[in-house]
Amino acid sequence: MEKIAEQKIIEDLLPQKFGKQGVIWVISLLAMCALGAYAYFRQLYYGLEVTNLRDYVSWGIYISNFVFFVAISLVGSLITAVLRLSDVHWSTPLTRIAEIIAVSAIAFAGLIIIVDMGRPDRFYNLFTHGRLQSPIVWDVIVITTYLLISLLLLYFPLLPDLKIMIRYKDRNGKYLQKLYEFLGSFWKDKPEQFKITDKAINILSITIIPVAFAIHTVTSWLFATTYRPGWDSTNFGAYFISGAFLVGSGAVLIAMYVFRTHYKLEKYITNDHFDKMGKIVVLLALIYLYFNVNEFLVPAFKMKKSEEHHLMGLFTGEFAIAFWFAISTAMLIPILILIFKKGRTPKAAFVAGILVVVGSWFKRYLIVTPTLLHPFLPMSDVPENYKHYFPSWEEWAIAGGSLAGALLVITFFARIFPIIPIHETITETNEHEKV
Amino acid sequence: MKPLLKQTNMKKYKLFQLLFIVIIGLVPNLLMAQDAVEKPSLKLSLKYFNDNNKTHHLEVQAKSKIDGKFQMIANVPVQFYIGSDPDKSNLIGKGITNPKGIATVIIPATAKEQWQSTANQNFVVVSAPTKVYEETKGELAITKAKIQIDTAEGRIINAKLMSLVDTTWTPIAGVDVIVGVKRLGGILNVNETPTYSTDTSGAVMAEFKRDSLPGDNKGNLTLTASVIDNDVYGNLSVEMVVPWGKYYPFDSKFDERTLFARRGHSPLWLEILAYAIIVGVWAIIIHLLLQLRKTIKLGVE
Repeated sequence: MEKIAEQKIIEDLLPQKFGKQGVIWVISLLAMCALGAYAYFRQLYYGLEVTNLRDYVSWGIYISNFVFFVAISLVGSLITAVLRLSDVHWSTPLTRIAEIIAVSAIAFAGLIIIVDMGRPDRFYNLFTHGRLQSPIVWDVIVITTYLLISLLLLYFPLLPDLKIMIRYKDRNGKYLQKLYEFLGSFWKDKPEQFKITDKAINILSITIIPVAFAIHTVTSWLFATTYRPGWDSTNFGAYFISGAFLVGSGAVLIAMYVFRTHYKLEKYITNDHFDKMGKIVVLLALIYLYFNVNEFLVPAFKMKKSEEHHLMGLFTGEFAIAFWFAISTAMLIPILILIFKKGRTPKAAFVAGILVVVGSWFKRYLIVTPTLLHPFLPMSDVPENYKHYFPSWEEWAIAGGSLAGALLVITFFARIFPIIPIHETITETNEHEKV
Repeated sequence: MKPLLKQTNMKKYKLFQLLFIVIIGLVPNLLMAQDAVEKPSLKLSLKYFNDNNKTHHLEVQAKSKIDGKFQMIANVPVQFYIGSDPDKSNLIGKGITNPKGIATVIIPATAKEQWQSTANQNFVVVSAPTKVYEETKGELAITKAKIQIDTAEGRIINAKLMSLVDTTWTPIAGVDVIVGVKRLGGILNVNETPTYSTDTSGAVMAEFKRDSLPGDNKGNLTLTASVIDNDVYGNLSVEMVVPWGKYYPFDSKFDERTLFARRGHSPLWLEILAYAIIVGVWAIIIHLLLQLRKTIKLGVE
C-alpha cells in the first residue's frame, strides 16, 4: 500500500514535458530575451548614449531592476531557511520553488549590474582594483556568496530526487539522463549520506539568513551611504529587507498557482498552502507599510528644503501616479484581499501575488530614479532632458529581457527537475500516515 | 458719356504718376536711412599700473551701454600709444579685449626715451572700427609716482609715496595707501585698518598684527603697499618678502587608513571585520563542499 502511494507521488511530481501552452510561454520568453540581447548589442555598439541615462539619472531602470532582483531573491532564505529552522513542515512543497526563484533572481541581479556599465570589459577591475571601503565591493562579494549558498541549498535536497529520476531512464531521454547521472549518480540513499546532507542543509539554512540579510542591507547601503534626498536614511536596511521578503513571497504565490494549475499539483500545493502563504504576505505587507510610513512621514513632517522637491514629486508631482500605484498595489490592495479567508483562495492569492510583484517593481523604480533627479548640488545650465527621465526602448527591452531570462531559468528548471521535492514529500507523507 | 470716361482715365493716370514720383523719391531716402542707423557708442577706460617699481603696464576696458546697463565688450581690437598723439611712431602695443572687455600692454623698453622725457605722461588707446562699433579713443594723463616699502623693529611696515616733480622724487601727502599681506590670491589687512593716508613726508606706518599666518615653506610672507585708481598717479604697488609667517608642514593623510582612503588603505577595524566575515562564511562553504565530496565518495564505495 505504501509502495503504491509512493509511486503515485513520484509520477505526480516527476518533471513533465512542455504542453502547447508551455511551448508558447517559452517562445515568448525567448523572443523577449532576443529583443533584450539586440538592445544590449546596440548599447554595446553605440554606448550608453542609446539609453536615457544622463549625468543626473545615471542609475535608471537597470539599477531599479537590480534592486528588484536582489529583493525577490531573499525569498529563498525566508521559505527554505526561516520556515525550516522554525520546524514548519507545511512549507516543504514550496522550498524548491522559493530556491529556484532565489537562484535565477540573484544570477540576473549580477548580470544587470554588468549591463549598467558603460565599459563592461572593465568589470574585472572591480576585483583587481576594488576598495574594501566601498559598499559596491561588499555587494559583489555578498552576491557571489549568496548565489553559491543558494545553489548548494538547491542542490543538497535535490540529491535523493536525482536518484529517483535516474530510475526513469526511458522517460528521461538521453541528454537528461546523462545530466541526472552526472549530478546524482553517486547518491545511494545510504544513511551516512542522509546524515551528511541533513547536517549540510541545516548549516546552509543557518548561514543563508545572515548572508541574505547582508545582501539586501548592503544593497540598501549603496543608496543610504550616499548623501541624497530620499536615500539619506538610517532606516534603509530594514526598509529594504521587509520589502524584499514581501516581493519574494508575492512571487512564490504566483509560482505556486502557476505550477499547481499547469502541472495539476492540487494535492501537493493545497488551498491550505495558499491560506498560510496569504497570511505571511499580509504580515509582510503590514511590516513593509510600517517602514514606508516611517520612511516618508518623518522627512515629510520636517520638510527640509532639499527633501521637499523629492517628496512633493512623489506625493503630488511628476511621480505621484507611479508612487500611489506602487503603494496601493504592493501593499494596500494585497492586504485587503488576503486579510479575508476568501481572499486566500488560490485564484485571489494569485492576483494578490501579481499585484505585490508589479507594485514592488515600481517601488524599486521610485526608490532609485526621483532621488537622482534632485541632487543637493544641482548643475548650472543643465540641459532640460537631464531633469526628467523615462527609459529608452533599449532600456525597456533589456530590463524586460532580463525578467524574461529569470522566468526562463525557472521554467527550464521546472522542466528538468521536480519543482516539489519528491523524496521529502514521500518521507513526510509516510510519517504523517504513521502518526 | 465718353468725355466723362476720358476724364476718369486721366485722373487715374495722374494718380499713378504721382505715386511713381513718390516711390522714386522715397527709395533712396529709405536706403539712406538704413545706412544712417547709429552704431552704439563704445567707452574705453584706460588705466596705468606701476608694478613693484619695475614694470609698467596699461590696461583698457571696453564698455558699452546695452539695455540701459554698461556691459563689457569682448573682441575689440585696440592700439596703445604713448603721448597724446595716436601716431604710428608712438605705438607701444596692440591687443584684443577678452570676455571681461579688458586688454593689456606692457610699456616696452623701446618707449624708454619718451617715458623718461617728462614727469607727466599721456597715453592714448584707439579701438579699430568693427561691424558694431565705430572707432573710439580713450585718453589718460598721469604723473609719475612710485611707492617704497620697508620694515622696522616690532613688525612695523613703513611705506613712502613719492612723485616725480621735474627730475626730483618728492613726497606726496594725503593719498590713500593700502597696506596688506598677500593671502590666498588676495590682499589681507595687516591689522584692523585697511587704508592709511600719507603724511607730509609721503609716509604711512602700519603695525603687523597677524600672528600665526601661514607662510611659504620658509615661513615667508609677502607684504604689499598699493595705491589704487588714483586720478593723478594711477595704480601703484610694491611688495616685500618678510619672514613673519609661520611654516606649517603639509600634513598628508594620503597614507593614513581611513574610510575614504585609496585602495589597500581601509581602516584596520574594517579589514579585520570584513575579512573575518568573508573567511567565516567561505570556510563554511568550503566545509560544505568537502561534505559533498564525502557524500560522493560514500556513493562510489
